[in-house]
Amino acid sequence: MFRILRTTTFSFTIIYVFVFAIAVGLLALLFYQNTFGVMSKQTDDIVDQEIAVLSEVFSTEGAGFLRRVVNERAAWRDDGLYLLIAEPAGAVLSGNLTALPPQAVNAGEGFIDFSFERPLLDAAGREIGVETRKARGKIRRFKPAPDADQSFLVFVARDISTREDLRRRTQSNMARIGLATIALGIVVGLVFSQALLRRVDSVNRTAKLIRDGDLSKRIALTGAGDELESLAINLNAMLDQIERLMEGMKEVSDNIAHDLRSPLSRIRGRLTEALKGDAEDKEAALRATLNDAENMIVTFNALLSIARIESGEGAGAMEAVDLKPIAEEMVELYEPAAQEAGFELQLKAAPAPPVRASRELIGQALANLLDNSLKYAMGGTTIRIDIRTGSNGRVLLSVLDDGPGVPAEERGSVVNRFVRLEQSRTTPGSGLGLSLVSAIARAHRGALTLGDSFSSAAERRGLKVTLALPAFGRA
Amino acid sequence: MRILVVEDDSEAAMHVSKGLREAGHVVDHALDGEVGLNMAGAGDYDAYVIDRMLPKLDGVSLLTRRRSGGDETPALFLSALGEVDDRVIGFKAGGDDYLVKPYAFPELLARVEALGRRRTQAPSLTTRYAVGGLEIDVITRTVRRDGRKIDLQPREFRLLEYLMRHAGQVVTRTMLLENVWEYHFDPQTNVIDVHISRLRSKIDKDFDKALLKTIRGSGYTISDQD
Repeated sequence: MFRILRTTTFSFTIIYVFVFAIAVGLLALLFYQNTFGVMSKQTDDIVDQEIAVLSEVFSTEGAGFLRRVVNERAAWRDDGLYLLIAEPAGAVLSGNLTALPPQAVNAGEGFIDFSFERPLLDAAGREIGVETRKARGKIRRFKPAPDADQSFLVFVARDISTREDLRRRTQSNMARIGLATIALGIVVGLVFSQALLRRVDSVNRTAKLIRDGDLSKRIALTGAGDELESLAINLNAMLDQIERLMEGMKEVSDNIAHDLRSPLSRIRGRLTEALKGDAEDKEAALRATLNDAENMIVTFNALLSIARIESGEGAGAMEAVDLKPIAEEMVELYEPAAQEAGFELQLKAAPAPPVRASRELIGQALANLLDNSLKYAMGGTTIRIDIRTGSNGRVLLSVLDDGPGVPAEERGSVVNRFVRLEQSRTTPGSGLGLSLVSAIARAHRGALTLGDSFSSAAERRGLKVTLALPAFGRA
Repeated sequence: MRILVVEDDSEAAMHVSKGLREAGHVVDHALDGEVGLNMAGAGDYDAYVIDRMLPKLDGVSLLTRRRSGGDETPALFLSALGEVDDRVIGFKAGGDDYLVKPYAFPELLARVEALGRRRTQAPSLTTRYAVGGLEIDVITRTVRRDGRKIDLQPREFRLLEYLMRHAGQVVTRTMLLENVWEYHFDPQTNVIDVHISRLRSKIDKDFDKALLKTIRGSGYTISDQD
């Protein structure tokens, strides 16, 4: 549980909530100042204006008229204005307040805030209780004449109960909203972090299982389609590649063991025999051994090439390449050999976009496919290289022959290393040709498929080997 | 030719040295990069055969140092690394040829001899080659034998040109695929052989003496010697 507090998401959320709270606080402060500040000033202005009017009345009409005006104004109970005339010591002479607020006597002529109680009346004017009102006002002292020793004071105040009530409610609401914002932010942060942590944990668990040796484990996908999903997909693809490479390495060593052990033991047996024989036997054994060694070199080179191509080495040399010139070069290279073997070699190239490829590898793949057709399309007459645009922005490079073809059930296995069809065991070759082509297809993120040259159920179906290569920019 | 072989596998080095000596060359041998560098500085060689992976000083660094010192002796790299990128590194370091292990000895011999020839003649300046009665002109792209004009396809001409440039030397199938077609893989079937026999039918068929000869187990040579 405490781990969640250390997650990146949670830290980000907290920072976000903090910044957001400050912004909201500033906004609230601005709102508060603008409303209550203005309202306070209005209150003070009204009180000052009232005092100014009363002073004017006093100076032009005298004390008696002032007192009348005050009494008239004080009779309007509902406009929230309190007026009071009192003796300097505070004894009330007239007005709509029952007493001068005690602190007003000593307050000079500044504003004071005070509260007092008054009877609460119902609609019919009956007393139903006591209410506490808040008000704000100031005192003004008058002397009836410059030489008079008897002065009196006027107290003017305005009711601010409603406003103060609103202010109090606003303050507490703001505090509540602020707390709720922060609390909500923290909760959301925890939920986010928890969700993220769960998904990261799933990646970590998978990584740990893989580290412990189970390379077949993959990160579970949630189907959310978000960035974590694409990270998981990429990691899974990386794991696929690693697994393939590991398998490739294992296969290479298995295959080297398989394919080189038998000639090696053959050589040992032959040499052991030759040591007992005469000069002629020895020479025969040496020649046979040389032949074996050369075949082993061919096999070994082919295995190394496959391993290198599969490891993605040389993939840096991939560039935009047009297939047609490569096919033309290969047709040119193989044409005499094909003619000698009784085949006509054709090239049918439809306009196609360039592919992301290595000329060297594509050339090698075509050479291998042409070699295969020359070797195995027994009884055929035509070998054709076909280039056309396929679906999904792929360019299809096919080699078709009209030989016996490969039965559908054996197509999967001929691509595997060393698998050679039963009837082809007698022809020379490492059995690695199609594996090499398949490795080249994978190195180009393409695909290798085997099919029939002719769709009809003819006796000779022919073999059609197709390399589907991503067009440049689409890989 | 005086040839320096720098190779740390002593058995392979002995095998190579012996083969080169049998072909009539003088061979010195160094077992690591530093010794190789010193020997290259001390002796006047016609060609270097350098393994890329060597103790003390690797082959690429060795040649880079010799080249920066003004040594232009042709060099062939031997390597277990055969990808295009590796070749490029080899050529950038000043290597003239590149052979991937495991290789057949005749292939090495043919390539080393081709390198030695490169030193004695400036190939780019020569535009006419003649062997026996066979002449080719690289500029006008014409071929004559005993004064009679022979028509060749462009690729046949390039094939003949390469053979003529290396007249008297053995040229392997792989060398032909590399230099005439510019592909670096082992030709599996007899594709090159058929091209050669087509060329042969044009330049040798109507004449008494065959100039384009097959060297069994190695490759081809063009020569008027028997």
